[in-house]
Amino acid sequence: MTATSTPSSSPTSAIEVRDRVRDALSQSHPLRVVGGGTWLDANRPVQADATLVMRDVSGIVEYEPGDLTLTARAGTTLDEIARVTAAHGQWLTLDPYGDSTRATVGATIATASYGPLAHHFGTPRDIVLGVEFVTGVGDLVRGGGRVVKNVAGFDLTRLITGSWGSLGVITEVTVRLRALAAIQATLAIDVPGSVEETERVRSELNRLPFVPLAAELVDSTLAKGLCRDGRGATLLVRLGGNAEAVRTQREQLRTVGEVRELESDVWRRLCSSEPPRAAVVRLSRLPSHFAETWCEAQGIVERWAGGYCHGDPGRGVVRVVLPTGESTRDDALYAVLGTSGKTTRVYERLPAALWRALAPGVMRNRIDGEVKATFDPQHVLNPGILGEPQ
Amino acid sequence: MTTGAPAATLTGAVDAGLAGRLTAIVGERRVLFRAGELLAYSSDGLPGYFKRPSVAVFPGTGDEVIAVVRELARSRVSFVPRGAGTGLSGGALADGVVLLGLNRLTRILSVDTENRLAVVEPGVVNVALSRAVSAHGLLYAPDPSSQAACTIGGNVAENAGGPHCLKYGVTLNHIVALKVVLPNGDVVTLGDAVGESVGFDLLGAFVGSEGCFGVAIEITVRLIRVPQAIRTLLADFSSIDAAARAVSAIVASGILPAALEMMDAGTIRAVEASIYAAGYPTDAAAVLLVELDGPDAGLDADVATVVRLSREAGARTVRVASDEAERAKLWQGRKKAFGAMGRISPHLVVQDAVVPRTKLPQMLARIHEIAERYRVTVCNVFHAGDGNLHPNIGYDANNPDEAARVHAAMREIMRACIDAGGTISGEHGIGIDKLPYMDALFSDESLRAMCSLRDVFDPDRRANPGKVVPVHSCREWHMAPAARNSGV
Repeated sequence: MTATSTPSSSPTSAIEVRDRVRDALSQSHPLRVVGGGTWLDANRPVQADATLVMRDVSGIVEYEPGDLTLTARAGTTLDEIARVTAAHGQWLTLDPYGDSTRATVGATIATASYGPLAHHFGTPRDIVLGVEFVTGVGDLVRGGGRVVKNVAGFDLTRLITGSWGSLGVITEVTVRLRALAAIQATLAIDVPGSVEETERVRSELNRLPFVPLAAELVDSTLAKGLCRDGRGATLLVRLGGNAEAVRTQREQLRTVGEVRELESDVWRRLCSSEPPRAAVVRLSRLPSHFAETWCEAQGIVERWAGGYCHGDPGRGVVRVVLPTGESTRDDALYAVLGTSGKTTRVYERLPAALWRALAPGVMRNRIDGEVKATFDPQHVLNPGILGEPQ
Repeated sequence: MTTGAPAATLTGAVDAGLAGRLTAIVGERRVLFRAGELLAYSSDGLPGYFKRPSVAVFPGTGDEVIAVVRELARSRVSFVPRGAGTGLSGGALADGVVLLGLNRLTRILSVDTENRLAVVEPGVVNVALSRAVSAHGLLYAPDPSSQAACTIGGNVAENAGGPHCLKYGVTLNHIVALKVVLPNGDVVTLGDAVGESVGFDLLGAFVGSEGCFGVAIEITVRLIRVPQAIRTLLADFSSIDAAARAVSAIVASGILPAALEMMDAGTIRAVEASIYAAGYPTDAAAVLLVELDGPDAGLDADVATVVRLSREAGARTVRVASDEAERAKLWQGRKKAFGAMGRISPHLVVQDAVVPRTKLPQMLARIHEIAERYRVTVCNVFHAGDGNLHPNIGYDANNPDEAARVHAAMREIMRACIDAGGTISGEHGIGIDKLPYMDALFSDESLRAMCSLRDVFDPDRRANPGKVVPVHSCREWHMAPAARNSGV
């Protein structure tokens, strides 16, 4: 079933998931929770005896288009959700980097993964309305609900979102959908490489009277692969609205630079272009410092064969991707990534040996540790993934 | 410094020395303990409840808040944080415990126009923040109807909403970072105002925790740009059903209005009979107030679509406000609707529940049926675009028979909302008012998980005790989770 050599189980329902977690508790064997396996090498290595595969806890539970919400079991793929919602002119505005034919909605929420659409729609925490999950004490728990506005009880939904399966195994999620815009367009603007020019583009983008659906700056390496006539760094902009709105947005974009049309599948290719093995880190700072963040990223990329980066000027985040292989030496990678900068660094993927040196853990205060101890006191859920002491 | 706090004037378990020690921190005028002085702090926006705090203390700076919370921790005394006291679920009621008033912390500490961020103290009034940044073309989006009085700190505690949350999201979506005093006096920063936040989303968990997880003393909020253009429409209908159909059609069209509000006949008449008269047609069964905003380009095309969809759903007339004055007048009727209804009866109970949008027509019919059966008059004024209902009933709380019927009707309405797949609060919080419904909405396991989360922030359970989660759900709290499951 999976590439791992550890025993693996594939429950098909929330109750079965709960039973597997209870088994794990009684036998004291930790579980590695796996969705579609898209981000298996993401975050710190997990020390687990067994694998809990969530792929078969799948299917859409409830979808009433008029409500613009959808409830699906955790193992449902993003592609399936896209297919079902598109039939009603709607979409789930989550486009994380990775293979969307495999990526599950449960894993997307658990890892708080997002893509270019976060520019307009925010990250999973802004989109998830409710979750059902099995805690590390074996309780089947619900937070939130199936309606778009809900303040009933303490917010277990936000707590679980982005907790990397370390507090609970997500079995079902309810998400907010959006209506697809009547017209969409994707445009490209060349961005000459200087800091001043990058800042000018960011600043003009920030002053536009509208917020594009996505605005992602891709470096020259990535642009060459994505756009036929890609030369240097390129700003990809996704517009949406009624015909007049999109026409005007296109005009207004000219303040940013010369605009050319692109095929809309560039977004899918951007998300799926990720090499199967890579070190990935996100650099972030206030958006007003985006040009400097971009430079810091360039400094890393230039020192790694095949490395590239892309970033969202509106969110101030740049994502650096360094392809790796069998022959990659950890010390070489460390030499490139271990340099300090002015940005906050969030590592997505790293060779196992480098985590301790680069990002030992995310437990920052008493509360972090006690939340883990409360929801997973026996460390049966993805132990080690957040660098927590065990 | 003299404390002037004789033991005889203190109620409950609060010792006389405590008032003195609090006085030493905040000054004599900022500690209230006499019954008369506490009267104003013995109720909040929830009618019919009267709970007197033992002491009310009003620190003036973040450091004073920290010192007060540490003193309360040392003295092992429970407390209730309070902003403006406009909450509608009783969350700011302090029953014999210390009331921690935050309304003196009114400074806007910084505004970063380029990154559209502001750092504020918890006592900053919601609308004051938008006013302060309006010169920069910015605003703070969440706009509860009480925005002229309610505070950002209270908004954070309640995860407050408002009409414009349909497009812009609730408080949660606008808070970037918080400096928080935990109930034990520790100070932590949740979220990250500068870069991406890693680890558990404790910021998300804190927003909406109703004062049970601690006290926010510095709040970094996201601001948005004042939209380039705004169009406000009023559509009137001869049946509620037709208005609800228009709501569905607009939502399904792909247009995301900034606000989509519905008022029924009772509300319309109350508003039109008041000083807030907005020119709503008094013979209508329902009106929809629709606001579209954004860039100029394409906005009128969306207005035309909304007009067409409303007409197709059966609107008798659709009026587009021609200027800012007319727009303000149309909104005043909506925002002051509860005030207008308050004129008619001595007491007004305002409910807050959410149902899936497609269930609105059947839920409104059900509410009507329940009201008739209990011989009460329900008015509905609500955020139709979110499915967030605010049924409200005017009554005389001094008439026991009427009060009993009102409460029975409300209970049944809440059950009906839960049965329709909805929830018991969209923006007002649970407080004490909604506690009885939590069992119907969440399983024992879910409630226990919520209790456990509270225990992480406040193991002594001294911050806003007895709110949000029913006490009986929390009986097993202190048993270690592992011990509970050892038999499995």
